[in-house]
Amino acid sequence: MFVGLGTVVGAAFALINSYLGPRRPGRMKADPYECGLPSEVKEDFRFGISFYLVAMLFILFDIEVIFLYPVAVQLKAFGTFALIETIVFISLLAVAFVYVWRRGALEWR
Amino acid sequence: MTPEAPHIDWAGLSPIVALTAGGIVVLAAGLFRGAWLRRYGVPLLTLLTLGATAGLSIWQWGEDKAIVSRALAVDDLAMFLNLLFCAGAIAAVVLALRDSSPEESGHGEWHALLISSVLGMTVLASAQNLVVVFLGFELLSIPLYVMCATNLRRSKSLESGLKYLIVGSVGSATLLYGLAMIYGATGATGFEQIATALSSQAGLIDDPLTLTGIGLIVVGFCFKVSAAPFHQWTPDVYEGAPTPVTAFMAVATKAAAFGAFVRLFDVALIDAATNWSPLLAAVAVASIVVGNVGALTQTSLKRLLAWSSIAQAGYMLAAVVVADREGVEALAFYLAVYLVMNLAAFAVIVARERETPFGDDIRSLAGLGASRPALAWPMTLAMLSLAGIPATAGFIGKFTLIGATVDGGYTWLGVAIVVGSMLSLYYYLRVVAAMWLSDVPVPAAREPVPAIAGGSPELDAAADPEDGAGQDAGPDRPVSQAEATAVAVLFGAATLFFGILPSPLFDLARDAGSALGLL
Amino acid sequence: MDIGWYLAVSALVFCTGAGGVLVRRNPLVILLCLELMLNAANLALVAFARMHGSGDGQIFALIVMVVAACEVTIGLGVIVAIHRRRLPVDVDELRELRG
Repeated sequence: MFVGLGTVVGAAFALINSYLGPRRPGRMKADPYECGLPSEVKEDFRFGISFYLVAMLFILFDIEVIFLYPVAVQLKAFGTFALIETIVFISLLAVAFVYVWRRGALEWR
Repeated sequence: MTPEAPHIDWAGLSPIVALTAGGIVVLAAGLFRGAWLRRYGVPLLTLLTLGATAGLSIWQWGEDKAIVSRALAVDDLAMFLNLLFCAGAIAAVVLALRDSSPEESGHGEWHALLISSVLGMTVLASAQNLVVVFLGFELLSIPLYVMCATNLRRSKSLESGLKYLIVGSVGSATLLYGLAMIYGATGATGFEQIATALSSQAGLIDDPLTLTGIGLIVVGFCFKVSAAPFHQWTPDVYEGAPTPVTAFMAVATKAAAFGAFVRLFDVALIDAATNWSPLLAAVAVASIVVGNVGALTQTSLKRLLAWSSIAQAGYMLAAVVVADREGVEALAFYLAVYLVMNLAAFAVIVARERETPFGDDIRSLAGLGASRPALAWPMTLAMLSLAGIPATAGFIGKFTLIGATVDGGYTWLGVAIVVGSMLSLYYYLRVVAAMWLSDVPVPAAREPVPAIAGGSPELDAAADPEDGAGQDAGPDRPVSQAEATAVAVLFGAATLFFGILPSPLFDLARDAGSALGLL
Repeated sequence: MDIGWYLAVSALVFCTGAGGVLVRRNPLVILLCLELMLNAANLALVAFARMHGSGDGQIFALIVMVVAACEVTIGLGVIVAIHRRRLPVDVDELRELRG
């Protein structure tokens, strides 16, 4: 039933969009991409490697902290065990950090 | 409700702890400056880690317990599969010793990725909880995506990495959605609670939520084991990835995915068997047909083995369909056999890729029987075994598979396996014929390779891996490939050994088969 | 509110993601669509957790979020590597391995 409902709603959205949506056909719209990167790399295109690298590392370290949230919720109940768990977890993250640092991924090139 | 600090069973957890620690140490060792340490120390540490894991798994043999709030099972099936993963990974490390992929991506990283992939497999093989199934799958797959792309200078490798990433992630997402549906239907994530819910609540088995969940899970698993309608990525990824990675991926991923497959379906969803067994049986037959037909026209050996692995996935799925102790036994046995014969074949491909200018084309094997019997015999045995010729391990494996399907009331699946094997004879024998019946081709790209003819020093080296290590020739001359030859000979001999004397392996498989508590 | 609505939205998002993976050709967009699929599952998990009144689904969703981040990061890494090799960033043009 849910799948059926999902399909119906999905189809409805798609159809309503094409009926009610404003129509402004143009060259840009006929291009394969309306968003995202252009598909061809230009001759003098320079990719911001450092930018991507730092962004990716940020995402990873940022999202790992989410695991501290359930610990925080149950902190009182678990007591010392939670502390040890957290220390182990943080030290694993620290190992990852030291690795990234020693590998030179944090240098801005 | 006040939770207490859980009791931690360190002994049961020890293989996982060993792998984690080993991965960190290997990663750190890769940071040191000494080139020698990076080139030889890192693989050595990796081998130590894998050996320790295998040892700890043997130590835990027969324990049969559930740890971490019953989320992980430490039983003989999991430990048996652990041994397979370690064997596959050790072979990959040895084959990669002189490969360019660890060189280009960093030795520490390459080996740490390998170890974390093995860690994911270990977790997956003992997973008894939906969360752990998903976690294990991702921990297995994500390092493999990267490892496929580790030949950073070869665009094929990068392409295969991206393809595998996209297809694999679609598989994971589908699997996850299916797992979410099962959780929604039963309200539990532990396998035992799911089984209880399915057997106790009337109508839950035919609930649309359960059915959708099972369907999506089957699709997700089919992506991972490369079964028929979702197999398209397999030849491309196998061909593009560095060959040692392909070897590891082919044998170990399959073992891990089938381990989780059989545990999930034969433990948690066993009461819904009437709903999923026709589906899986259809997938099995489709895989057998598609894989064997696809392999007929291949000229690249890696692509040929990829298509053959699709067919073999179909054979093994038949054992999951049966859903009894005999089926699990046959599956465990066949997984081990599959590992042995495929590693022999891939080791030969690795050696020939480096010796000839033909890459993994079937021409690279031409005339191998006369020039390099030490490579030709393992390859011959592997091919005959994959085809299921008597006196090889593959024959015994197929025999037990067919026996399990017939006893389980799926005689027609057994017939499908037989027909598929007959079809597969054509392309496996083509490889054998290329080795023994055709002459050494004149290499077009480079100058003729003189060392191919002089077989005797390599032969002696092949018998003893220690001896051959010193024989490194310069880059101009083809290297003797002692370690790849040694791997090939070892696993080729194992193929023959288990074909004539299968009882030791069979005893292990019987222990593994009885672990799930099925009839 | 009925759980059916949450599931409908979740199924819709999942189908959008799956369709996007099939139709789109830019790997970055495909990664976005993969995220959609995973997050659809997250929504379903959290809704089910609410329905059953157990925390399992929520923990599952947290873990999925972390895993999804790792997956996307790896994907971005591979795409960056491909960019450095100046290969076309278009999955249809990655044709060196014949499909």
